[in-house]
Amino acid sequence: MGTSKSSEVDSGYVGGVSVFSGRPDPLWPVGAGDARSLMALWDALAPYGGDAPHAPPLGYRGSFLRGGGREWLAYRGAVTLREGGASEMRQDPGRRFERQLISAAPQGSVPSAFLDDELRAQG
Amino acid sequence: MPVRITVDIFSGRPNPSVELSGKEAQEALARLTPAETLTADAAEKTATPILGYRGLIVEQTGKEANKNLPERIRLSAGNIVGRGLAHRASDAGFEDFFFKGLFRRAAGVAKLRGRILEEVERGRAVRENLLIRPLPFPIKIACLCAPRYEPEWWNDAGQKQFNNNCYNYATNYRSDTFAQPGLAAGAMYTALTCAAVLPAAVADALEDSPGANNKCPSEGHLVALVIAPDWDFHWFRKGRNGFWTHKPGGTAVTHLDNSGHLIPDPRTADRGPYTAFCTFMVVKHGHIKIQ
Repeated sequence: MGTSKSSEVDSGYVGGVSVFSGRPDPLWPVGAGDARSLMALWDALAPYGGDAPHAPPLGYRGSFLRGGGREWLAYRGAVTLREGGASEMRQDPGRRFERQLISAAPQGSVPSAFLDDELRAQG
Repeated sequence: MPVRITVDIFSGRPNPSVELSGKEAQEALARLTPAETLTADAAEKTATPILGYRGLIVEQTGKEANKNLPERIRLSAGNIVGRGLAHRASDAGFEDFFFKGLFRRAAGVAKLRGRILEEVERGRAVRENLLIRPLPFPIKIACLCAPRYEPEWWNDAGQKQFNNNCYNYATNYRSDTFAQPGLAAGAMYTALTCAAVLPAAVADALEDSPGANNKCPSEGHLVALVIAPDWDFHWFRKGRNGFWTHKPGGTAVTHLDNSGHLIPDPRTADRGPYTAFCTFMVVKHGHIKIQ
């Protein structure tokens, strides 16, 4: 799910949105407190049953948190953790993980109008 | 005039056959006397090989052949074809006549007889529904100079996939830099509009071709620029089969649009937020430079 060419913070966690095609996707450093909070949210999620929601090729394709060799991808009520070759998917009906992750993005880095529509429509 | 009738049904093992002679052979040939001429479609259906029952092969194996028929003919569904011959048989029901009587004498098929008769019926139905389409000649490749569609090469879930975007893919140029129009020429776009991205691509030596109308160029390949206004740009490329493919950012190459449909024309594809179609452009191989 990597998508871009910007300055990732190697020592910490990085948040991002998979949304652009030509431009690099927006990325931002996620502080230790925010990362812990997101992981606590993850720990509380129940396993996801069924097929993962399918994102269209163009436009918003989900938000991600990366760090420590792991990546969480949140899209439309499903959060997937990938680590090494393994993955685990959990359900996030209120899209809390996704919303909290995006809320930490620096002002203006994410096309808010479009994301607002997306989160409102599927929230 | 001895006659051999072979049931043309097997592929690997020998086909069963029956030898006729004397009056029996004469009667068989009389039943197969050519009647009305076949249409071209019917003749081709009769001659087209299929797997399973393909008809009866009737061969005159003696020195004194019946001059009304070639030495070897194929009979299928009452139609006979052979050298210089494509006609209806006088007795269009000859196959039924054969299978009800003469076929019992075929050697080595006692245990298979029932199954062969079932296959005869199935083969008839298959042949009846054969659709003979004219083969276009020369075979037309829609866009001879277009790059091959090879998603597995780009979709490596690693270096190539994550570091090459729609512009890299459309131009078929792996830079591993998430290439930006105009950057290599020092003329990168300054706004996310058609008016700004188009000249940036021209600076990279892509050729604007607004009148291309989805037609392949004689040299190079066709790409299309679209814009999500003030937000992002995106590129499609036309493939050899005439359909378009694309690579949304660092994600995988795909041949589908946002509705999951093939893309015969990017102007009418579901492009999500990339609502503005800017132009077609031509990529001449070896001319462009992107970064």
